[in-house]
Amino acid sequence: MESNVVGYEDKSTEKVLTKKDLNKMAMRSLLLQASFNYERMQAGGWLYSLLPGLQKIHKNKNDLSKSMKQHLEFFNTHPFLVTFIMGIMMAMEQNKEDQDTIRGIKIAMMGPLGGIGDALFWLTLLPITAGIGASMAMQGSFAGPLVFLIGFNIVHFGLRFLLMNYGYNTGVSAITTLKENTKYVSRAASILGLAVVGGLIASYVNLNIKFVGNVGGKELPIQTDILDKIMPGLLPLTYTLFMYYMLKRGWSPVKLIGITVVIGILGRFTGIL
Amino acid sequence: MLLEALLIALWAGIAGVDLFNGLTHIHRPLVTGLVVGLILGDLQTGLIAGATLEMVWMGMVPLAGAQPPNVVIGGVIGVAFAILTQQDPNISVGIAVPFAVAVQGAITLLFTVFSPLMHKADVFAENADVKGIERINYMGMTFLFFFYAIIAFLPIYFGADSAKTIVESLPEWVIGGLSVAGGMMPAIGFAMLLKIMLKKEYIAFFLIGFVLVIYLKLPILAVAILGAAIAMYDFYMQKDKGTGNGGGNSRVEEEFADGI
Repeated sequence: MESNVVGYEDKSTEKVLTKKDLNKMAMRSLLLQASFNYERMQAGGWLYSLLPGLQKIHKNKNDLSKSMKQHLEFFNTHPFLVTFIMGIMMAMEQNKEDQDTIRGIKIAMMGPLGGIGDALFWLTLLPITAGIGASMAMQGSFAGPLVFLIGFNIVHFGLRFLLMNYGYNTGVSAITTLKENTKYVSRAASILGLAVVGGLIASYVNLNIKFVGNVGGKELPIQTDILDKIMPGLLPLTYTLFMYYMLKRGWSPVKLIGITVVIGILGRFTGIL
Repeated sequence: MLLEALLIALWAGIAGVDLFNGLTHIHRPLVTGLVVGLILGDLQTGLIAGATLEMVWMGMVPLAGAQPPNVVIGGVIGVAFAILTQQDPNISVGIAVPFAVAVQGAITLLFTVFSPLMHKADVFAENADVKGIERINYMGMTFLFFFYAIIAFLPIYFGADSAKTIVESLPEWVIGGLSVAGGMMPAIGFAMLLKIMLKKEYIAFFLIGFVLVIYLKLPILAVAILGAAIAMYDFYMQKDKGTGNGGGNSRVEEEFADGI
């Protein structure tokens, strides 16, 4: 593919986005997971959400294509806080930053937002609002579900639109500094992005050996007594690097997903995993 | 029963879409209790069963994106069963959970089957075909709608009891194996990121991030802040060096292998 040139052809950095555009994209972000799949996760819905902005920014068709391809790469973040990244992306796209920088910032942000979103929505807002609603419904009051829905969505939609605009404004004001130092910013963004990816692998890839060996009548749990003593997270890291290696050798992600399903089922069938 | 089953299927489809898109949380058992209660003409039992199931699913949220037993099907089947059989709402939990776990496995398969769709999307992106990308997303949602509607319709129309027997007769290793595979799946996504981002000079930072979490148990936000600290330090060091060479703005011409 011809993506060796990372910059956009059209360098004009006119401010074309209005508040209305931003809100339209925030609305579209509700469909972030419309085409969710294991290969790119939210990428399809992410690109869908950004399209109104990208179309307005990239009048040049080659640029639009380039930008669309970049935003169709693997993407996954918290579905509630995504608009913050969208706002920043829009500021960067509008300023025609090069694609390595845009990608670096995008990836560096998606992980931390995931953690914040989990804590904020799943572990705080949902238990509080659903708890109040359920306790009312338990008494037979039909107001319970309504109280839950209203309470939850005031915070949900409030944050969704607020973060879109906040992200955009943050991006616009930080961008002049970014522009002057593209090369270094790109490098710094990659450093940050890869540190986060390293941490994400450690937290979110789950692979444990369930098998318990037997040495002279003594139980020997392979996972806790051997693998974890060598290094915790050894298997998740190894499996990720194995996937990386296979991708480099030209294996398609779909094939790797299929293999993973087979390993999972065979592993459980034999009692190893 | 046909009309009721169809209405419940319609609700399950809408709630199933809301679980991933919209996220207004009308898909929670609490709301399903109200709606299915109205459809089946027993609001009281519906509300109580919905609230009971809501408590069960309170902790079952997609933390870090890991899919919990499916809350939509669990809620719909559980509430419908409680009303139709007039059993204690707590028993409906026992009916709802096996269904929800089976559907969770089916969702894993669904997200696997959706993957090839992205290659179609790649072509649309290449041609800057905005409408094409939009169509793929609308199609994905339509698919989700029918997936949930059909899964909810069958057991309610043909009887929640017989369907439960079928689900329970599935060997444990099929459902368990799918959940093991689900835990491993993120590795593929991260490997794809590595393929795009990893260059020799950055391996060190990747390792630092990994060690911070695996040994020091730091949350991702802490890793991001430390990563940002290193990145800022590097930024100013490089910039000082760069102005000395007078090559401040030239782009690095590195081999950029984008093989997707």
